Amino acid sequence: MSKEISLGRYYPAHSFLHDTDPRVKTILYAVYLVAIFIINQPITIGVLAGVILLQLILAKITPSILWSTVKPMLPLALFIFVINIFTIRQGDVLFSWKIITITGYGIEKAAIMAVRLVFLIISTSVLLTLTTTPVKMSDALEKLFAPLQVIKVPVHEMAMMMSIALRFIPTLAAETEKIMKAQQSRGADYDAGNFINKVKGYITVLIPLFVSSFRRADELAVAMDARCYRGGNGRTKLNPLKLTLRDVLCGIMFTLLAVLIVLIDFSLR
Amino acid sequence: MNSDPNKIIIEDVCFSYENVDENSGKAPRLALDGISASIEKGSYTAILGSNGSGKSTLAKIIDILEVPDSGRVVIFGKDTSNDELFWQIREHCCCVFQNPDNQIVGTMVEEDVAFGPENLGIPNPELRELVDQALKDVGLYELKDRETTALSGGQKQKLAIAGALAMKPDILILDEATAMLDPTSRDDFLSVVERMRVEKNLTLITITHDMTEALRCDKLIIINKGKVALEGTPEEIFMSEDLWQYGLKRPVKFNFAFEIAKLCGCKLTKEDLKSDEALTESLVKMLKTPGLKAPEALVSDKGDEENREIIMSVKGLSHSYDGNNTKAIDNINLDIRKGEVLGIVGESGCGKTTLITHMNAIVRPQEGEVVIHTDDGDLFCSNKKDTMKIRQNVGLVFQYPEYQLFEETVYKDISYGLKKMNVSQEEQKALIKEAADKVGLTDRELDASPFELSGGQKRRAAMAGVLVMKPKILVLDEPASGLDPRGRQEMFAIIKGLKESGTTIILVSHNMDEAAVNCDRICLIDNGKIQAVGTPKELFAMDRADELNVQRPRITRFSAVLKEKLEKVFTGIEFNEMDFVPEKEAEVIVRAVVKAGGSNE
Repeated sequence: MSKEISLGRYYPAHSFLHDTDPRVKTILYAVYLVAIFIINQPITIGVLAGVILLQLILAKITPSILWSTVKPMLPLALFIFVINIFTIRQGDVLFSWKIITITGYGIEKAAIMAVRLVFLIISTSVLLTLTTTPVKMSDALEKLFAPLQVIKVPVHEMAMMMSIALRFIPTLAAETEKIMKAQQSRGADYDAGNFINKVKGYITVLIPLFVSSFRRADELAVAMDARCYRGGNGRTKLNPLKLTLRDVLCGIMFTLLAVLIVLIDFSLR
Repeated sequence: MNSDPNKIIIEDVCFSYENVDENSGKAPRLALDGISASIEKGSYTAILGSNGSGKSTLAKIIDILEVPDSGRVVIFGKDTSNDELFWQIREHCCCVFQNPDNQIVGTMVEEDVAFGPENLGIPNPELRELVDQALKDVGLYELKDRETTALSGGQKQKLAIAGALAMKPDILILDEATAMLDPTSRDDFLSVVERMRVEKNLTLITITHDMTEALRCDKLIIINKGKVALEGTPEEIFMSEDLWQYGLKRPVKFNFAFEIAKLCGCKLTKEDLKSDEALTESLVKMLKTPGLKAPEALVSDKGDEENREIIMSVKGLSHSYDGNNTKAIDNINLDIRKGEVLGIVGESGCGKTTLITHMNAIVRPQEGEVVIHTDDGDLFCSNKKDTMKIRQNVGLVFQYPEYQLFEETVYKDISYGLKKMNVSQEEQKALIKEAADKVGLTDRELDASPFELSGGQKRRAAMAGVLVMKPKILVLDEPASGLDPRGRQEMFAIIKGLKESGTTIILVSHNMDEAAVNCDRICLIDNGKIQAVGTPKELFAMDRADELNVQRPRITRFSAVLKEKLEKVFTGIEFNEMDFVPEKEAEVIVRAVVKAGGSNE
C-alpha cells in the first residue's frame, strides 16, 4: 500500500535490456557515465538523447515509469540550473541588475549541467536499477571485481551487502511512512515551522527507524545463518550469468555509439 | 549418554544472551536454565510459554543458531557440539520466523527460494528442480517471477516455507510464524505446512501463542523461565489448572466446556478433551445431572445503546492510492456512538487501516467526509484548520506501537504530544501520571529507557503516549498482537478500564473471538466495503452469519454443535439466538436446560 519509491527500484518486465547480461550493462553504464560528462555540444547532447531513447525503448520502459524515476531528482536539476545561471559570468550579458548577471553562455552551460544530471539518472535506471534485479546486479559486480579478491578485497561480501540494501529499500520506505503517521497522531507536524523545527521533527522518525533497522538486521542475519549462508565459497547460482553473442554485440554496438558521439563532440569544439 | 537416532534430545541446557559482568560479578539472566526435553522424529510438537520464557532460544539451540553455555543437544544421534557435524545438522533443520519481511533475502520470489540451496552448493539442473518443486508445493509457482515485496503477508510466509523446503529439511521449526497473519491466511499457511509434514515426513516444531493452533499438535511442551514446566498431549496439558501462571490459557472451546462442567458441579477428564464428540457427549451427560440449578439471570445492560449520542460519523468515504484503480475503501458510512467499543473486523488488506487513518486526519478524504462531533462544535477531517483539534480528540495507536518510541526515558516519550500542545510542566506531570496509571506503568518504568522495557511494557508506554492527550475517541489497531494469552487478557482489561472512564473505543482486530467478547458493536469490512454493522448477537446468530458468510467466533461454532445435540436429548428446549453473550454462553446453555425441565428420558 506504500507509495511507489522508484529510485533504485526494479521494474519487472521482459525486454531486450532486461535479458542482457548485467555485466555488459554495468560496463555500458560506466562508458555512458564518461560520455555524459565529457560532451558539451548541443548537437551531440541531442544525439545522446536519441541513443538513451533507444535504450528506453529496448527496455520497454513506459513514460509514466520514466517520469516517476526522474521526478524526485528534478528539484536538484533545477537547483543546479539556477546556481549555474547566476555564477557563470562569461559571454554576452542578457540581463543585469545589482549583483545579478545573466549571460547567454551561462544559460547554455547551466542547461547542459541540468541535462547531464537528468541523463545520469535515466542511464542509471535504464541500464541498471530498472532492468536488473539487485541479485543479478550484485552477481555482475562480484564477477567484474573478482580480480580484486587477489588483494584481499571482500568482493562477494560487498556485493551481497549491496543487494540486501536494495532489497530493503521498499521495506524501509514503508516503515518510514508508518512511523511518520504514528508520530503525527501524537501531534508531530512535519510541514510546519522553520527549518530547525523540521529537522527536530525528523529525529522522531529517524531514531525509531534506526532502532528498527538494527532489529531487522539482527533478524535477517539469523535467518541467513539458518539458511546456511557461509560466504561466497562454494555457492552455486540458480540463474548463473551467461554471456551470449547477443550480449557481446549489444555491448559493442552501444560502446561504439558512445565513442562516436564523443569523437563528434571533440571535432565540433 | 543417550543418542537415540530417532529423537531430538536436549539435556540440561543453559544459555544466556549476556556474558558474566566482570565488574559486579553478577550472573546474567538465563534464557534457558537447565532445560531438558526430547522430541520424536516425525512428530508435531508445540512449544508454548509466555513472552520471554525462552521458547525462541530453545528453537535456535536446536538449529545451532545459538550454542549452549552448558548441557548437550543431540539431533537424531548427532551431537551439536561436534564441529564436524555442524553443517550436517544445520542443513537438515530449517526455521521460519515471525516477521515475513526480515527473512526474505531475494528480490524475486524464485531467487529467494534458491538462497538456501545455493548456499549448500547444489548445482543446476538439480537446483532449478528443487526451487520449482518447493514453489509448487506451497502454491506459489505462478508467482515465481514476482517481486518479493509485492507479496501479501501470508504469501511471504509461504515463500519462507518454500525456501526451507528447497533445502530438503528433516526438521522444520516455526517460530511464531503465524503471529502476524489473519485467521484465513493462518489456516491456509498451517494446512500447507501440515500437508508438507506428512508428504516429506518432517519433524515439525511450532512455537505459538495461539492455543487453538496448539490443539493440532501431538505433543505440547510448556516453557516457563527457561525450564520445562509441563509436557504432554494437548488433552493432558489443557487439564492443568496452572496454565495461567505460565502466561497461557485454555483454547476457547475448552474454556467454555470447563465453565459448563463447573456450573453442573462436575469435572471433565482428559478423555473428554480428546475429540469434539467425546466432549459434547460428556457435557450432555453432565447437563442431565438431576437437580441442576440455573445461574442467576443475565443482567441486561442494553437499552440506551440505540439512543446514544453520535460522536463521529463517517460519510460516503472512499479512498484509492496512487496509481491504483481499485479503491482501498469504497463508500464507507458509519456512525460511532459515544462510549461504545466498536470493533472493525476484516482480513488483512481489506481497508481497515485506510479507514482508521482517516479518523484522525492523517489521510484526508478524497471523497466523503469524517465528522467529529465535540462539545465545541463539529470538526471536519477535510478541513486542514481542524487537524490539531482532531488529533487531540481522536487518539490513534497503530499496530506494534512500541516501534515508534524514541526518547531517552519513557516519561519524556509520553510527554511528546503534550509538549507539542504547549502544556505547562506541572500539568504535564499530572497528565503523564494519570496516563501511566491507566496502562499500569510504575514510576520506575517511567524513568527507564523505553528500549530497556519488555515487549508488553513498551506497548503500554506507547499507548500512554497517546492517552496522555486525553482523547475522547481512541482508535486501537490490533492492540494485543504478538502478546501471550495473559498479555492479551491484560490488554483487554486496560481497554475495558478506558471504556468505563468514558472513552469511546474503536478496536481493529482480526480475531473474531476477542471482538465478540470485547465489542458492543462490530463493523465487518470486506474488500473496502462495509459488509454489516451490528451487535455481536445480531451478526453471529446462525442464520445471519451464514447469510453474511462470516467466520463465527470459535465459541459460537462449538456451542452450536452442543446446542444441536441438546435439542435431540431435551425435548422442548429452546435457545434464543438473541441471548448470545459470548462470555456467558455457558450460563445460557445451563439456563435453557433447566428451563426445559431437565432430562425427560
